[in-house]
Amino acid sequence: MSVPAVEVTNLTKVFPVSLRKEYVVAVDNLSFQVNAGEVYGLIGPNGSGKSTSMKVVLGLMAPTEGETRIFGVSSRDVRARNDIGFLPENPYFYKHLSGAETLKFYGKLCGMRGRDLKDRIGELLELVGLEHAKDRRLGGYSKGMLQRIGLAQALIQRPRLVILDEPTAGVDPVGSRQIRDLILKLKEDGISVFLCSHLLEQVQEVCDEVGIIFEGRMRREGKLEDLVSIGNQTSLVLENASSELVDKIERLIETEGDGAELVEKGNPRTTLERMFIRIASSEKQEKEEN
Amino acid sequence: MADSEPANQKPAGRTALISVGRIWTIAASTFTQLVRMKTFYFLLAFAVLLVAAGNLNILFSAVEQLSMIKKVSFGTMDLFAWLFAIVATALLIPRDLEDRTLYTILSKPVLRIEYLLGKLIGVLVVILLSLVTMFVIFSALLHIRTIDFLHTEVAILEQAGRSQEMIQAEAEAIIAQGLRKEMWVALWAIFLKSAVVASVTIFLSTIASSSLFTIIISTIIFLVGHASQMMIDFWKDQFVDNIVVKMLAGLFRIIVPDYQIFSFYEGIILGEKVLPHLVWSMTGMSLFYVGVFLLLGLLVFFDKEF
Ligand SMILES: Nc1ncnc2c1ncn2[C@@H]1O[C@H](COP(=O)(O)OP(=O)(O)OP(=O)(O)O)[C@@H](O)[C@H]1O
Ligand SMILES: [Mg+2]
Repeated sequence: MSVPAVEVTNLTKVFPVSLRKEYVVAVDNLSFQVNAGEVYGLIGPNGSGKSTSMKVVLGLMAPTEGETRIFGVSSRDVRARNDIGFLPENPYFYKHLSGAETLKFYGKLCGMRGRDLKDRIGELLELVGLEHAKDRRLGGYSKGMLQRIGLAQALIQRPRLVILDEPTAGVDPVGSRQIRDLILKLKEDGISVFLCSHLLEQVQEVCDEVGIIFEGRMRREGKLEDLVSIGNQTSLVLENASSELVDKIERLIETEGDGAELVEKGNPRTTLERMFIRIASSEKQEKEEN
Repeated sequence: MADSEPANQKPAGRTALISVGRIWTIAASTFTQLVRMKTFYFLLAFAVLLVAAGNLNILFSAVEQLSMIKKVSFGTMDLFAWLFAIVATALLIPRDLEDRTLYTILSKPVLRIEYLLGKLIGVLVVILLSLVTMFVIFSALLHIRTIDFLHTEVAILEQAGRSQEMIQAEAEAIIAQGLRKEMWVALWAIFLKSAVVASVTIFLSTIASSSLFTIIISTIIFLVGHASQMMIDFWKDQFVDNIVVKMLAGLFRIIVPDYQIFSFYEGIILGEKVLPHLVWSMTGMSLFYVGVFLLLGLLVFFDKEF
């Protein structure tokens, strides 16, 4: 098997809080890997340690314990960053630079120049649909535009891995559709993607594999289909069903169900979301019982 | 796939060493940032101030007038340089951090020392260019005024029927107040001082999280630094045999740069001789301070988490 794009082994990150002897365990013994060429989604509620894990992987933070590798190179080695493109959450860039200048700046930081850089900038502006705004300063960009220039910036040196922190947060449905299409295109090009989100519907269709993180610990992990199917349940999704038909089915279950029970009725929701809520609430229950 | 093929074969060892190109890229962007923040408007204000000062010729004699132009000009250049060094440097890094621009920069193959050096160089280039521009404006004005005074004074003295020697002496006194190439040394001193100030500030801003704190502490260090030698001497006199005090004084000497070493430029602009060994030792000391504070800054910044 080829080297995984990201390898996180027993990662723990503890933050001291104030001067007293208090600690926040942001990430707790987390292990997972992003296989080369795959899209991996780390999913969890606010404050569950997603951004922290990403920052350790990027070498912006040192792990308290454990280690992280990128294509086999330790995150602490600056060379690992040749292969990464990163889009932080709610990115802002230098307001005084235009879109094209921003890409030029990041390209130069990666050692690109001349024709190669110029062509790449044109290519990326087209890819993220910002050609019309390339000479405008970023101070005047909308949130969605910033997100897209951020994505272009992450891709400038043709990295093998892109790390996206909440790529669709604060972007309207159309914009987030575009971003998801872009992610799928990256995957087609053989680029590995490591993204995180708390908006499940937004990422489930692009992820090959997801990890569910809660309070710094990995709760579930695996292929999306495996995760969301529940063995003893069957769902029927009907289209254009009249309410009489639905009533009939319900009555049928009551009279001839033989123990079968109607658990849920309504417009289908993301199954992943349901699971997410279940994990969070069972966690809460456990806490209250203790 | 064809697109990402060359990326896959990228040699991994390419960026282990410090790269001048990357430092320069960061310095250039810092420069653009400061320029687009309209800092250079200050130069206009400077020119206006000088022209105003140069035309206040009611109260003073020619010699006094010229020396006032010089004092005001260099005083302003000095003030601009150190104040700008503190404020600009203190604002830059926290701003990058707040905007999360720092994340995107440091997640490219950029060494942290390259980032710090780039910021420092960017600020210093702005200061250097501003100083040179101010100096050119100043030189032009001083030159015009000197010739001006020479003509009018000589004419007045001739009309009054003074002796040739007297006229000669007055002319020489006026020329002595005019432009001298030694003034570049004064400009160099001002620049070096601001370089030290900027590196102290960069160090502080790697520790502190707020720009305001950095600005205040750096200003205090700047002010105290002008009296550091005096304070050290005072302590040593008070506690002659106290080893602790001696050590503290030594530490103090390193932590607080001796900004007094730059003050001899004030004599130079008024016509004193330039002592080469002073210039060399000032340059050496400045490089030493810049190096020490950059190193300290790097030590903090290297393990800093964002
Ligand atoms: N620099 C820091 N200092 C102290 N605590 C921190 C720091 N960074 C993160 N934390 C804490 O670590 C925990 C995880 O934060 P993190 O930003 O990783 O969450 P997240 O999953 O990205 O959340 P969100 O969805 O809101 O972005 C939180 O409790 C947060 O308060
Ligand atoms: Mg986050």
